[in-house]
Amino acid sequence: MVSGTNRTGVKFGGIIAAAFLAGGTLPAAEPAGADEPWWSLAPVVEPPVPALEAAGENPIDRFLEVERQSRGLEAVGPADKLVLLRRVYLDLIGLPPSPEDQQAFLADSSPDAYEKVVDRLLESEQHAVRYGRHWLDVLRYSDADERMTAAPGIHLWRDWVIDALADDVPYDEFVQVQLTGRRSDERTQMSATGYRSEKEMRPGDLFALGFLARGAGVGPQDLAINAVDTVSTAFMGMTVGCAKCHDHMFDPISEVDYYSMKALFDPLVLRKVTLAGADDLIEAGKVMAERDEKRAPLVKELAALLEPFKSQLYEERVEMLPAEVKEVIRKPEEARSVAEQKIADDYFPILRIDDGKIDEILPDEIRKQAGALKKQLGEVDRSGPRGPEIPVFHTVEVDRIREQEKSYVLTSGDAARPELDNEVQPGWPFSGGDYDFRDGRVEAFTDWLTAPENPLFARVAVNRMWQWHFGTGLHQQPSDFGKQAGEPTHPALLDWLAAEFVRGGYRMKRMHRLMVTSRAYRMASESGPAEAASQQADPGNTWLWHFRLERLEAEPVWDSIHAAAGKLDLAVGGRSFEPGRGRRGKEAATVRRASYMIRGYSPSRDLTPGFLQTFDVDDGRVPCPVRTRTVTAPQSLFLMNSPEIETASAALADRLRESAGGDLKAAVDEAYRLTVGRPPDEAETGRALDYLQGDPDRLKALCWLIFNLDEFIYVR
Amino acid sequence: MSASSPLDSRGLVSRRNFLFQAGGGFLGTALGGLWAQDGAIPDAMLGPHFQPKAKSVIFLFMCGGVSHLDTFDPKGNAHVGKFIDAIGFGDNLAEMKRPVIPCHRTFTRYGQSGIPVSDWFPHVGGVIDDIAVVRSMWCHEGNHFPAVIETTTGHRGRAFEHPSFGSWVSHALGSVNRDLPSFVNIGRPSSPVQLTGGYLGASVSATPFQAGEVPIPNLHPPKGTPAAERDRQMKVLESMNAEFRQRYALNSDIQARMKAYELAASMQLSAPEAVDFSKEPEHVKALYGMDEDITRDFGKQLLLARRLAERGVRFIQICHSGGGNGGWDAHGDMKSHEPLCRATDKPIAGLIRDLKQRGMLDDTLVVWTSEFGRTPWSQNTTGRDHNPKGYTSWMAGGGIKGGIIHGATDEVGYRAVENPHYYSDLHATILHQLGIDHTKMFIPELGPVSRLVEDGHGPIREIIA
Repeated sequence: MVSGTNRTGVKFGGIIAAAFLAGGTLPAAEPAGADEPWWSLAPVVEPPVPALEAAGENPIDRFLEVERQSRGLEAVGPADKLVLLRRVYLDLIGLPPSPEDQQAFLADSSPDAYEKVVDRLLESEQHAVRYGRHWLDVLRYSDADERMTAAPGIHLWRDWVIDALADDVPYDEFVQVQLTGRRSDERTQMSATGYRSEKEMRPGDLFALGFLARGAGVGPQDLAINAVDTVSTAFMGMTVGCAKCHDHMFDPISEVDYYSMKALFDPLVLRKVTLAGADDLIEAGKVMAERDEKRAPLVKELAALLEPFKSQLYEERVEMLPAEVKEVIRKPEEARSVAEQKIADDYFPILRIDDGKIDEILPDEIRKQAGALKKQLGEVDRSGPRGPEIPVFHTVEVDRIREQEKSYVLTSGDAARPELDNEVQPGWPFSGGDYDFRDGRVEAFTDWLTAPENPLFARVAVNRMWQWHFGTGLHQQPSDFGKQAGEPTHPALLDWLAAEFVRGGYRMKRMHRLMVTSRAYRMASESGPAEAASQQADPGNTWLWHFRLERLEAEPVWDSIHAAAGKLDLAVGGRSFEPGRGRRGKEAATVRRASYMIRGYSPSRDLTPGFLQTFDVDDGRVPCPVRTRTVTAPQSLFLMNSPEIETASAALADRLRESAGGDLKAAVDEAYRLTVGRPPDEAETGRALDYLQGDPDRLKALCWLIFNLDEFIYVR
Repeated sequence: MSASSPLDSRGLVSRRNFLFQAGGGFLGTALGGLWAQDGAIPDAMLGPHFQPKAKSVIFLFMCGGVSHLDTFDPKGNAHVGKFIDAIGFGDNLAEMKRPVIPCHRTFTRYGQSGIPVSDWFPHVGGVIDDIAVVRSMWCHEGNHFPAVIETTTGHRGRAFEHPSFGSWVSHALGSVNRDLPSFVNIGRPSSPVQLTGGYLGASVSATPFQAGEVPIPNLHPPKGTPAAERDRQMKVLESMNAEFRQRYALNSDIQARMKAYELAASMQLSAPEAVDFSKEPEHVKALYGMDEDITRDFGKQLLLARRLAERGVRFIQICHSGGGNGGWDAHGDMKSHEPLCRATDKPIAGLIRDLKQRGMLDDTLVVWTSEFGRTPWSQNTTGRDHNPKGYTSWMAGGGIKGGIIHGATDEVGYRAVENPHYYSDLHATILHQLGIDHTKMFIPELGPVSRLVEDGHGPIREIIA
């Protein structure tokens, strides 16, 4: 095997400024320094770590402290141990810490007690379920939308993403495989006789291509257009979409750039892959053949019965047509010209004989006979063995014919209006135009995209990770690093993190660990009277002098409720589920994690469950780089009155009764630990015991109260 | 689309990004402002720009496409059998000649205005002098879902999460009733798009109400929860939350959460009251046809609409025969319109009469529309195809002239030819009556791309009193 065929030829730096100006698309009044590249396109130059030992070992804290100091802000102290534990659990795995986890953490007085917890959480496959959800928001995972042909089997792409995160696949490979199905050093191989051939894909990596397949719709250009839109925002932080209709007025992306990128993906077509084994396929074929055999005589008889009436109606219809159309229709199909065939096709709807229309002219006797035959056909369809299920998945592959076709600018992005005098070559912006497509177009682009020299690639990724841990990115608009989106609050820290990410081989878990072990992450979230000045100076906490208080996202809300009830099913992988839809008449004993809850869009029915919509989850039609967090009355009604809360309150109460026996004080203690991740203080215990009035039957009502606590739905 | 707006990929992206960009200030206001306080309406984000004529809108949406030719736009049968140049809608967009089919309705001139109405809408005919019939509506999209999206959001396609019209109104004007939402939907819509708050957020999306004991999901505590106990729980909850709330007193989210609970609690009281018809006299119920099987369901929905308008709900959308393509989608046989007309005729007329007798018609705007009309020809049946090129909508009350016809379609009823109005003119007219200048209704952070009314000429001045 020959590896290392990574012929990148990646060029950045000097080239960027040139491409930038050559585009001629900059705003007229550019301030001084116009020949400097925009910050996000400039090479990542690793800044030195500030020598502020007092700020701590972690470079993150030193960079943050520089900014705080220059503004006279003082960081608050560390969070309470159990507050921190719940925070890091909900962040890294999306689940609350169990009372045992809490106990163990409190008992561990070693200096690296917290780091050990972090390492354990990052090793858990539940971490991948949680962070898979983050990535899948960005990559616009959806179980269905109105145009999505790849919907069956799409969950296998989700499974691939989650597995990749669990295995800590380096980020560059994570992206390479989703774009090409292969790591960039695993594309070709050389035989002993010097013959180069394409390497087989690693079997499971087929499913990574669900990322591209998901964009395929009914239109032949959909796949490529969706690929450009998603790839550019997700991995480049560039909103090239505007350039679909005109040169981007503020970002250095021209209309031609956009269609050049689209041309990279133009040769790709969707391919359906059957995932069944040979035996199942043979079996399914047999079942189908048997059924067809039973149907055949009935179908024939029915057709013979209805034929005279169909012909009669058809003749009447043809007679109605204008003379010139009639003439075309009367010609045998093989005698029609192309234009005539088009006319005949256009009139198909008029000449089509609907069953309903035939029914009207049938004599009673014939109608009865036909009805009986249709009934028999229905019985045949319902009878006999069903045959094995044949699961499918949709992948993409290069179509050699499409690869030969030219690509054009499309007028206003309309696939039906290519500008034939405006041909584009495959390529991408900022490249300098020096392409090597020997491994394939997308492959060449992927090499450029994932190269360590690409300043956008690592910056965009580390900024997302920061946002997921700290709530807001160092650059506030995680999918737009263009000119409309401003500049990062902490450019030096962002660059240092980007450099560190590349240096660490693009390992995401390493970066997560770095971020969540910082002092900044471990700060308290409250600001008291002592911090009044800071509060005044920086009410939005731009300079990170305290940790944020944040409403939990939909998934941790769902998971926390069912985890406290002891009913959460932690199974990883598989199809999406619809809440409330169990087997008929039976309530499911357990509930799956909300990451596996169905989401998507159907024009005719509400596919995304009400719970998710209420808690601000998108349907996944477009990438969602930041979730909104509204606070609304329907959310309160869910927590007050939903069947989920009713069931969970009862289950949690049972659990408390079982573990605490008759000791209500112990039950209250356990209730707080299972929900808000800490024991109640004295006042809280007293209040709860007052409420219980010594009656264990009132525990369910107490559980309702606790599920409705602000603290339950917020992470401190 | 404006490149100067901070929108994202496709020039357009999800509301998540927008709200994020718009910042906490927007969010804070949006939720703090769901409910009006005494006097001023602090949640009114945009308007009013001038003195409004209407306080509430009752928006009747007939899902699937009503035939204007068989209801409010008679053409006679002089052209039957004639082949006309046409474009197919629905599945087949080919240009071809299609034969005009006969209309089997009889039309009667009603009221002082003498506006002709078909025998399918005799009761509406009885109130025609309160109605302005616009016979020259058009839109671009010729299939149901795209057309519903276009007529609901003012934009074609769903690449961007444009909000529905009702949520715009809710966003712009807020609510005068702190106990009820400002945008309510009744009946099953054709598409979830008709309910969405889009980038304006969940707080202004439609709250689905149904006429019946449980108007909203999760409104009532589960069975077996004693009301007194729940009251007690709410008080205990407050004390249990007290320390946490004090600790995070500066956090606007926590304040919003308190309000959300207050609203949830007050909705538990006010929503059942709004759907409780027990105090409505029988003659009023009869006006809405609640005493007859065929009109009972829609009659209840319209009575509920009136009760919500009385209680200050801004925008009450009623979707009739929704789900899938919509029940009005009469491809096979125009006769399928008949039961739908019968089910809606009397309740609609009853609503207008009831509003009038209460003096509410002056400031309540009633709108009747579909996503599109139907063609003069059929697809080889006795039904009609989709027709976005010319169709009828009508309005009543809320400062609209009664008893007039505005605009016209061609001699067969295919294209709007006289005073044609793109659908957004209907939106602009409604906004105008609510005191909003449609040209000013957009999100500054997003730029003009967020304008609801994308095209068209603006309010239909000729029908405004």
